[in-house]
Amino acid sequence: MGQAVLPIKNEGGYYEIRLESIGGLGANLCGKMLGELGIRHLGLNSASFSSYGSEKTGTPVKAYIRYCEDKKAIRVHSPVIKPHLLGIFHDALLHNDGILEGCTAQTTLVLNTQQESKEVIAKCAQASEVYIVPAQRIAMETHSRINVVMLGAMGAAMGFVPLEAIKQVCEENLGKKYPDALAANLAGIERGYHETVRIQLEKTGKTDTEKNSCTEQELGYETAPIGGINPHIGNSVIADLSPSRQGYIPIFRPEKCINCALCDSTCPDMVFQFQKGIYKDKEMMVNKGLDYYHCKGCLRCVAVCPTGALVKGIEAQNPHKEHFLPNQDLLRQPNYYEKSGADGYITSESYLTEKRIAGGEV
Amino acid sequence: MAQQIVEYASGNEMAAIAVKQIGYDLMGYYPITPSTQIAENLDLMRARGETDLEMIAAEGEHSAAGICYGASVGGARVFNATSANGLLYAIEQLPVQSGTRYPMVMNVACRTVSGPLSIKGDHSDLMYMLNAGWPILFAHSVQEVYDFNLIALRLAEAVKLPVAVAFDGFFTSHQKRRCYRFEQDDTVKQFIGKKKEKYPFFDLEHPITVGSYMNEPDLINNRYQLYQAMEQARKVLPALYAEYEQLSGRSYKEWEGYCHEDAKELLVVLGSSFDTAMEAVDILRGQGKKVGLITLHVLRPFPAKELCQACAHAKQVLVADRQDSYGADGGNLSLELRAAFQRYKVQAQVKTLVYGLGGKDFYVEDALHMFEWLENDTMPEFAYYGITPGVQKKKESEFFEPVTEEKTKLGIVEVVHGEQELTVNGATLNATAQIKKRLAPGHGACPGCGIPVNLNLLLRGIEDPVVFLFQTGCGMIVTTGYPRTSFRVPYLHNLFQNGAATLSGLAEACRRKQRRGELPQGDIVFIMVSGDGGMDIGMGSALGTALRGHRLLLFEYDNGGYMNTGYQLSYSTPKGARSSTSHVGEAQYGKTFFHKDMPQIMAAANIPYVATVAESNPTDFIRKAAKAAEYAKTQGVAYVKALSACPLNWNDRPDLERQVIGAAVDCCYFPLYEVEQGKTKLSYDPEKSNKKIPVQDWLMKMGRTKHLGKPEYQDIVQELQNEVDRRFMRLKKKAEHSSL
Repeated sequence: MGQAVLPIKNEGGYYEIRLESIGGLGANLCGKMLGELGIRHLGLNSASFSSYGSEKTGTPVKAYIRYCEDKKAIRVHSPVIKPHLLGIFHDALLHNDGILEGCTAQTTLVLNTQQESKEVIAKCAQASEVYIVPAQRIAMETHSRINVVMLGAMGAAMGFVPLEAIKQVCEENLGKKYPDALAANLAGIERGYHETVRIQLEKTGKTDTEKNSCTEQELGYETAPIGGINPHIGNSVIADLSPSRQGYIPIFRPEKCINCALCDSTCPDMVFQFQKGIYKDKEMMVNKGLDYYHCKGCLRCVAVCPTGALVKGIEAQNPHKEHFLPNQDLLRQPNYYEKSGADGYITSESYLTEKRIAGGEV
Repeated sequence: MAQQIVEYASGNEMAAIAVKQIGYDLMGYYPITPSTQIAENLDLMRARGETDLEMIAAEGEHSAAGICYGASVGGARVFNATSANGLLYAIEQLPVQSGTRYPMVMNVACRTVSGPLSIKGDHSDLMYMLNAGWPILFAHSVQEVYDFNLIALRLAEAVKLPVAVAFDGFFTSHQKRRCYRFEQDDTVKQFIGKKKEKYPFFDLEHPITVGSYMNEPDLINNRYQLYQAMEQARKVLPALYAEYEQLSGRSYKEWEGYCHEDAKELLVVLGSSFDTAMEAVDILRGQGKKVGLITLHVLRPFPAKELCQACAHAKQVLVADRQDSYGADGGNLSLELRAAFQRYKVQAQVKTLVYGLGGKDFYVEDALHMFEWLENDTMPEFAYYGITPGVQKKKESEFFEPVTEEKTKLGIVEVVHGEQELTVNGATLNATAQIKKRLAPGHGACPGCGIPVNLNLLLRGIEDPVVFLFQTGCGMIVTTGYPRTSFRVPYLHNLFQNGAATLSGLAEACRRKQRRGELPQGDIVFIMVSGDGGMDIGMGSALGTALRGHRLLLFEYDNGGYMNTGYQLSYSTPKGARSSTSHVGEAQYGKTFFHKDMPQIMAAANIPYVATVAESNPTDFIRKAAKAAEYAKTQGVAYVKALSACPLNWNDRPDLERQVIGAAVDCCYFPLYEVEQGKTKLSYDPEKSNKKIPVQDWLMKMGRTKHLGKPEYQDIVQELQNEVDRRFMRLKKKAEHSSL
């Protein structure tokens, strides 16, 4: 076992890591592997856990890891607020409040994104160093998963973690359970480690802007209705569920649509906007478009469409989304759509996430 | 000292390792977050052949406690693990176990009990246990979870009492830490020793009666014996700690302090916060402040004297309670400490802060604030810490109009009363798209989840106003995360032991108000929505409601598992399927018993309408929904069950779920039929349509059953096929004979 030297520590003596992810990308397991990496291969003491809650795919999830010197006990149980390493598993998350909380001039940020963009650089400027890695593409090419690519990328960015140690911890975690998938995951780690690129930040002078986390809470003991009663109607609508999508969207071709409404009957997310209209000279309900704010990209509609009016498309190639029609029942549009997955979190040690490591769906 | 090895593990994992090493005979359990992983980990060890622990998945915590009680009376070494509402559901059994003096060990991964449902950690569940007659150990670290589990069983068998080992849910149950365990199971087994029974139940030469009826001359003496046993536990514990230290090198006593010897200001705090607060003490000591910490390892028997000695020099003591005994100006820890101080004449001034409820995080800064609170004479003796008044903001208008009668009663779905049965006209998919959806988008179901699909199909067939009651489950969690809701109609949640009963009361209140003219006349369809998990633990309540004949609709979405908590087996999981409590391995092939036939159980309650529906046959689904609503308005309980896809846990592709459901129908695992006024009618016979497929074809479409394709599992698949065929044959016979 090597003996790593932590390059930086906070007042408590900890090197702290936070992972920002979406349920299903494997951040829990990645956090666990980072924890084991510290104990078993870096000669450090470590602790790890994730945000807790009901287990759902597509919901935001955070994982936390603390390293310190081997002899020191890890006593803190609270989440990591000011990370030295911040791993962001999906660039859509950059739109969410709080993702960059505590990201300071002491933070190294590792972001999964396809390419360097001005928007990304501007968003991340408060970090000390920013690394980007096209983890989704590497995962697809190596038949591994985003979490192992990110593990490799973060290992490279941390600077005190040998590639061999990361591969070992992966082997210990996945080798026994999923021997068939091990080679692919090791390849993913390796490419993540080598293909992570540090990008140049334009320092604007306000480098140490810590995001104020204490936004005013509207509902409290003086303002919330008693008993937890919610007097509102359907206000879940303000959630923008697009981060749940895994790269694909349904594309609507109205000229082929026979308005059978099978799509509406299979959509879990009320995406299809049927209105009274005329089809083949007959008054009936007609599909006017799709509410992409709430489409999670499950593609159930594509599978049931009998005429090819709905086809699977790559979201990146359809940035403008023709026939995008927000929910027609709305009395008013939300002031903004909250960029997030849905409510809820994911349990810290996910049997399910691990299970899918073997290569995704059956 | 015995040889030990390093583990990097969570509290739940260490508990499972302890259970395995001890070699318990039996675990009776019901999954509840955050304690579920203990059973999951043990099941995984079982599948690998590492333990032969008998694991019995009860249909609820009350039954789990009963299973444990029976097994411990039978002389087995017995273990259980639970949390929160589960502990409360079981609580009736706890004094039975202690009063009749049968040892066992139960772990409690502490979680809040509620009202508005929450799964996060505080101590409001555990404190309900204080009067149960169980010794209660409290572990504030992952290491202690392991150590105290070993000590607990020794204690239990020494004083003939059941013992609880409690720890913080999530903070301790889920966080991974470096810790140690004995390398050899034998080391543990030797420490525990052989179980001795004073009155062996199965000594048939000397039969005994357990659980007499007892009157007033005797019961108080029985209780006094229990009191004596608890006092004996007080004496036994130090010896056990000493023996354990010899073995492990880790030294324990009833309480633990940090920088407390010369401290003038003490913070007393239970659980993982003790560790976090040490950091604050170090900071303040660095500033020359004489502060210290105390925590308890034992809540029962309460170590009053020892605590008072530990606090004797302090000027001020702040007790931070992670629960409140509402109206008593403190949580139970505060109250007991104050009482102890009076008894042993400790002069320190005591303050109480209620903090961290519902798992609200506790940071080092919070501990620093608490010490400030203690120093500052102007701060009150009792307060809530970390509460928010909230800010009055400009009221914004709603996003939607409520879905009222005029938006749904469009005359599209026409229910016609025949002589013996109802028929439904209209109800095409296109036409029913006109009925406003009662469910708004933005809910948090997984991509491709079947629950909203089935709900929307059900509601397409119901034009009357609806009122929902959801039992706990995915459907509820994903739609009502505060302060959001996906509902545009009235909605109520209750815990899943009790939804049907609650809806009975709700419906009767409405009808009474209608009769008295306090509410407008008109039909309302009362709908309970439950998963198959809710129909396990809540089966009694649902059957009671069915037998009483309230006019309401019970809708079950059956995804074959407890998906909300990470897919543990339900009674409706197919035989052979993998779940997190029916792992597949050398020694285990998945779930060992057949899926529950809930529609037939409900049919046996002789309710007016029972139907099965599937999204693969959407028009049939909508029409049955219409009929069910009609019966629920006019006659009594209607029960409708949909097979509901769970891409996450079925481990299949979200886009193909309708085909997977269709295959379940075509293989007759999930036959579509109705029992209307006692008469069975097949809605679809795959044999007649030449679409019948083997069950195996359906199983191969899901990751959770894919292993069954291997040759070694062919007999399991055959058993399932036979059972499915047998059930379908009976259905056909019933459909052929109107008197069956």
